[in-house]
Amino acid sequence: MKVGVVVFPGSNCDRDALYAATLVGAESFPVWHESSDLRGADLVILPGGFAYGDYLRAGALARFSPVMGAVREHAARGGLLLGICNGFQVLAEAGLVPGALLRNASLRFEHRWVSLSVERTDTPFTRAIPAGTKLRMPIAHGEGNYFLPDADLDALEARHGVLFRYTTPEGNPNGSARDIAGVLDARGTTCGLMPHPERAAEAILGSDDGLLLFRSLVESAAASTGREPVVVGA
Amino acid sequence: VGRRVELSVDAPDDAAARLIVERLATELFANPLIESYAVEPLAGATAVGSGNAA
Repeated sequence: MKVGVVVFPGSNCDRDALYAATLVGAESFPVWHESSDLRGADLVILPGGFAYGDYLRAGALARFSPVMGAVREHAARGGLLLGICNGFQVLAEAGLVPGALLRNASLRFEHRWVSLSVERTDTPFTRAIPAGTKLRMPIAHGEGNYFLPDADLDALEARHGVLFRYTTPEGNPNGSARDIAGVLDARGTTCGLMPHPERAAEAILGSDDGLLLFRSLVESAAASTGREPVVVGA
Repeated sequence: VGRRVELSVDAPDDAAARLIVERLATELFANPLIESYAVEPLAGATAVGSGNAA
C-alpha cells in the first residue's frame, strides 16, 4: 500500500504518520501542500498539527491549499482518506466529513489517554479490529468538541456514520456531541478522528492499538487492488 | 467565539465589493455550520479606491 501524508506548514504529526505506516509494511511518503500530485497513494493522511497556524479557525485555511484539490478528487474516486486531529478539522472545514470541531468544553487544550469504542468493524478503517475491542489512544487538541445540529446527528447515526466514540473509563474529554471521536463520510472511505492512532503505534509509546487502524487500511487497499497484504508481526 | 475583521476591497462599486466580502465571509471568515456573520461598510470606505483603470 502507498500512503501519502500531506504536509501543511504547521503539520507536526506527519513523521509519526509516515513511520506508523511503515510498521504495517506500507510505503509512505510526504506530499507537500503546494503539490497536487499524490503519487498514486492508495491512502492519503491529513496529519495532526496546526496547519497555517489555525489562527482563524482550526483547519480553515488548509482547505484552500493546492493539494486539497487532488485530495478531493482522490476522495471522490473512493480513495481512502484519513484525517487525524488537525486533519479531521481540515476535513470538516472542507466539507469532506460532516460536522465541526468546537473549542473543548473545558476551554483548555486537553492532552491525555482516552478509550474508544469501535462502532463498526465493516469499514476500511476498522476491518482488522475484533468486534468489541476498546482502543487506547492519546488525544492532544484544543478544538475537538464535535458539533452537528441534533437533526443532522440523528441522520449521521442513522447512516452509521459514527465510527469511534469516547468511552469508559476516561469518558468524553472535550464535550463532543454523543461522545463522538471519529466519523465517516457518506461513502465510507473518508474518516476523520481526533485521537492519534499514529501516536499509539508501538507498545513502548503506551499503546499499539493505533496500528489496528493502519492494518485495517493495508488490508482494505490490498483487497481493492487484489494484492495480498504484507503480514507484519506485532 | 466572536471576531471582527476589517478589510479593504478593490472593486468598481459597493455592490461588487459586497459580493466579494460575502463570498469571503461564507467560505473563509465564518463556518456557516457554527457561526453567523454580518457585513457592514465602514464610514468613508467608498472614498478609498485604488483608482486603477482596467
